[in-house]
Amino acid sequence: MSVNRPPTATATLGQSLFDVDGALSETAGRLPTRGQFIRRGGRRLAAGAVGGAGLALGIGFVPGSAHARSEREDLAILNFALALEYLQASFYTEAERVGALHGPLAQQARVVGSHERAHVAALRAVLGRQAIARPRFDFRGTTDDPKSFRATAVALEDLSVGAYKEQLPRINSDHYLAAAVAIQSVEGRHAAWIRRLAGIVPAVNAFDEPVSDRRTVQLVNATRFVTLKVPHTSSKRSPSFTG
Amino acid sequence: MNRGGWIVLAASLIVIACAVTLWPGGHRAPGGSARSPAPGAQASLAALPQPSKGFAIPRPRLLRDRAGVTRWAPVLEAAEARERPTRSSPGVVRVGTQTPEGTTNLVVVIGEAVRHGVTWVHARLAVLPDARTGWLPRSVLGGWQFVMTHLVINRARETLTLLRAGRVVFRTRVGVGKPSTPTPAGQFYIRDRLTRYASPEYGPLAFGTSARSPYETDWPAGGFIGIHGTDQPGLIPGQVSHGCIRLRNPAIRALGRLLPIGTPVTIT
Repeated sequence: MSVNRPPTATATLGQSLFDVDGALSETAGRLPTRGQFIRRGGRRLAAGAVGGAGLALGIGFVPGSAHARSEREDLAILNFALALEYLQASFYTEAERVGALHGPLAQQARVVGSHERAHVAALRAVLGRQAIARPRFDFRGTTDDPKSFRATAVALEDLSVGAYKEQLPRINSDHYLAAAVAIQSVEGRHAAWIRRLAGIVPAVNAFDEPVSDRRTVQLVNATRFVTLKVPHTSSKRSPSFTG
Repeated sequence: MNRGGWIVLAASLIVIACAVTLWPGGHRAPGGSARSPAPGAQASLAALPQPSKGFAIPRPRLLRDRAGVTRWAPVLEAAEARERPTRSSPGVVRVGTQTPEGTTNLVVVIGEAVRHGVTWVHARLAVLPDARTGWLPRSVLGGWQFVMTHLVINRARETLTLLRAGRVVFRTRVGVGKPSTPTPAGQFYIRDRLTRYASPEYGPLAFGTSARSPYETDWPAGGFIGIHGTDQPGLIPGQVSHGCIRLRNPAIRALGRLLPIGTPVTIT
């Protein structure tokens, strides 16, 4: 089934568009830059030395401002991950509800959708009130037929793996890092699963390249899945119903 | 074997013996079934440091059955709804992007078809005669939205019942159309929600539906049927309205907390 709508997903990957909603670029803007990341690496080593001495004395010592900054940076990364998880969870949920998939593809959407929703729940739980709101999505017909769904799912899963790979080394907290690694490896399995269903070799290279924040935002915006066209279904206008 | 060799062998055996003792389920009872580690081994395992935990990842939950899920979409571009899924088919009505209340127009989807590479959506229409349907190009609609609710209004019993995933979550008595202006029967849907207006006769909250009264066509905005509160609660239940569904104000407020836009409405 094809859709006479603007080209989407895999057809426009690589096309740079403005961020229609700002959800991803907003979160990407709060991420630590590569320079900050490298500088922090030095601080982390120094803190490790101080921390080691502190532990030997039975004292946990972490500089307050540095700790707060690293926490902020971690939360920014988690929000960036949440934006991607929103995208994936919404995509699979919609595909399942539309009901155009059958057989192994339907099974993949059903199971992977449940995983992505669990990722969303986990990230929202840890971010609490700092979690970004779920953007509104228009998947532009890609959930309406198996062919479009499969191509889009491959693109989203590959992107997710690469985006996590870029962010993981920047996470300061071991707790957050452990959870993010647990999610990222599952995203890798998702990518392999849908690639196999699409007839694509699941693992082509011995080493994967990360996808930068900027590139991730570009790719997501290119799909135009995040929409500003929110239906206005409430009004303060006086009713004109028959009464 | 020299002395050094014996020492290495003895050390290896000790290491293996320790590993077998400590390994959970390492002891196999005759027949192959595992048994609990010895008390000493349990104490040793408990002394091991616990792996550090990140935030909790909840158990994945599968979606419920699709049955009972209704799909709707906003109308992004005005378009002619067709009798059949082709551009050459006769038009049914022009579907606009706004309702008479100024909210985004929307349609409930009841099917899809592809003709010559174009996806068409079979939709319920807010047009007389009631319960008419038509085909719209998928391209004029926005992203899919989903609801699991269903509103049922029984005119004879003067009741309104809201179901979610097939279960009754709200029920109340209502006022329906007078015999001269009866509430139309059929399949409709909730289009919008109006609040904070200055019309006490509609109570504090009103929902607009896709239903239209065939008896009140000269009514402003075309005689659409609403579900709303009232300033005359003593008339409910009863056949009292021009076609609208009237609820007592506490009931419409309660319904307002439960009823999402796009919910299908069955009036019997």
